[in-house]
Amino acid sequence: MVSYFVRRTLIGLLTLLLITFLIYGLIRAMPGSPMTGEMMDPSRRLDPADIARMERAFGLDKPWYQAYGVWLTNLMQLDMGRSLHQKQPVVNLIIERMGPTLLLSITSLFLSYILSIPMGLIASIRAGKTDERVMSTVLYMLYSFPAFVAALLLQILFAVRLGWLPLLGMYSDDFASMTTHEKVWDLFLHALLPVTCYTYASLAYYSRFIRSNMLEVIQQDYIRTARAKGVGEVRVIFHHAFRNTLIPLVTLMGLTLPSLLSGSIILEQIFSWPGMGRLFFESISARDYPTIMGLTLMFSVLTLLGQMLADFLYAVVDPRVSYH
Amino acid sequence: MTTDTAPQPPPIETLPTAAPSRGYWSEVWLRFRRRKLAMIALGYIGFMVVVAVFAPAIAGTKPVVCRYKGNLYFPALGYFNSKWENPVFYHDKFRREYPTNLKEKDPQSWAIWPLVYQDPYRRVREGEWEDRPGNPRRDEGHPNRYNIFGTNQAGVDVFAQMVHGTTIALLVGFVSMGIAGTIGIAVGAIAGYVGGWVDILLSRLIEVVICIPSLVLILAIIAVIDKPTIWHMMAVLGCTRWTDIARLTRAEFIKLRDSDFVIAARAVGVGQLRIIIRYILPNALAPVLVPITFGIAGAILIESGLSFLGFGSPPPNPSWGTLLNAGRTNLQLWWLVVFPGTAIFLAVLAYNIVGEGIQETTDPRLRGTGR
Repeated sequence: MVSYFVRRTLIGLLTLLLITFLIYGLIRAMPGSPMTGEMMDPSRRLDPADIARMERAFGLDKPWYQAYGVWLTNLMQLDMGRSLHQKQPVVNLIIERMGPTLLLSITSLFLSYILSIPMGLIASIRAGKTDERVMSTVLYMLYSFPAFVAALLLQILFAVRLGWLPLLGMYSDDFASMTTHEKVWDLFLHALLPVTCYTYASLAYYSRFIRSNMLEVIQQDYIRTARAKGVGEVRVIFHHAFRNTLIPLVTLMGLTLPSLLSGSIILEQIFSWPGMGRLFFESISARDYPTIMGLTLMFSVLTLLGQMLADFLYAVVDPRVSYH
Repeated sequence: MTTDTAPQPPPIETLPTAAPSRGYWSEVWLRFRRRKLAMIALGYIGFMVVVAVFAPAIAGTKPVVCRYKGNLYFPALGYFNSKWENPVFYHDKFRREYPTNLKEKDPQSWAIWPLVYQDPYRRVREGEWEDRPGNPRRDEGHPNRYNIFGTNQAGVDVFAQMVHGTTIALLVGFVSMGIAGTIGIAVGAIAGYVGGWVDILLSRLIEVVICIPSLVLILAIIAVIDKPTIWHMMAVLGCTRWTDIARLTRAEFIKLRDSDFVIAARAVGVGQLRIIIRYILPNALAPVLVPITFGIAGAILIESGLSFLGFGSPPPNPSWGTLLNAGRTNLQLWWLVVFPGTAIFLAVLAYNIVGEGIQETTDPRLRGTGR
């Protein structure tokens, strides 16, 4: 099995190379450059020497495949370059923005798993009864409700109409002067709406997933045997049935790894949440090539890792599966 | 001891014969028909298609049919393509205002008007239509008698925008998934059937396309193109969403290429391409329809999201997403969020229900249960 994963890793590295190459070419082909913003500013007159100097500094004087080579060599020395827009090393920028995104995504991952497992199990136990069908329909409609529409509606209801929750951002203006207790409460209030929007769709999806898998498993013969032997219903559900639905659930966990760190561009934009998604969006608008490349690299690495993790967990959880 | 009146088998003609099988897709349709929710969703999609096709006849400021100076014209088609609006209206200096100009320039003209006189691209001014006041602007555009869904800050009617937005949404959904489906099925079929290094190469290609963050790809391609139109966006969406379909098709083809009927066909001498298209593909199609249907819902969501971020087709763009974007700047104007949001939600819900219905009716494991 080790050789299989070594092979996968090597192929993955090749894929990464190809992806970063393509993306770099594509974003260099985009019209506009990091200096467009400054050149448009009429109050600053740049003479050609300044422009040439900036171009050299940004690496724009070379054709794109050469500049890509420069970026790659820097990367080998673990240097992701400096952001053109924010004038900081890209690594610092990413680390700074990673925290807020992780706060949202890990909280929502936690919540959706903790809430969906009981809901899915209860739904499968009471399958066919009216209350379960109502709940399933509600969950289905939740799943289809687009997150950004829900975000806007929640903002209208709770922030504008009722004024219970803050509208935007992660901190209030006077955050620095609050006591620790107040800071935690402030963060909680600000994070409430974004986390809700992140969670409800995956919650609905996982509950339905668990429910349909459980319904399939409950019809198996070994469940009937366990019940006939007199095993208590709780033990039948948890110990016998639920374990066999873990396989697809666990592989799902591996596949959600990339979205943990990439954040949602739209939701972070709506809530002005200073996270990775917003960084992505800002850097594309500003044609900030080093940041875009750094983020793309991270995202692709995570996607490949996530797929490998899903396969690995599959092999661990299911004794029938082994890789040679 | 033997009887010589052994029971004779009945003559062949009176043997009961089984009814001829209805065929796979007729059975699927029959099972689908029994699911009330899926039929309601399908009906809603049909309703949306009707709205999309007849959008200029439902809401617009151009007459559907008019007789002007002795000739028959269809100005409303100008909403679909500006070249279809006859140049005579341009030469006669109509300036897009039909009601008063038709009456002035040709007293014998008649016209059949759309159901609602509002325009998705501009604000209707005072005196254009009978004694209706002009559309309210800025913050005063809440739903009223003439603008049943209200107006946005520029005074453009929301109902008209939503009706024409249906055309855009459905067009984006169908065309982009059509492209994605074609590419995906082709790549998956070749990878699955041929196998070997072709399969390895194509699988790596699929992995590469999956790993590219789609937003970067879409934004970069849209930025590279000089004048992005809605068709460019549909092509770009199609070219980034084919990977799931390709993987599924490949798995199906790998499963089916060693089945008996394929071996039999090969033994008889049927050509490779014919085997792929006429033998394996119809059997592999059923599971592939499911991600295509879900993909249409996804494409509508992505298009709304892109318009919401401001990256959709250039303004004026009566997409549902642009309405949401307008509502975002001033959350007091709730009608700019509630109505387009409901439209997106119902469209996505309908496609999801239909997709799930297809998934459950085409699953061969359930064939015997009659559900």
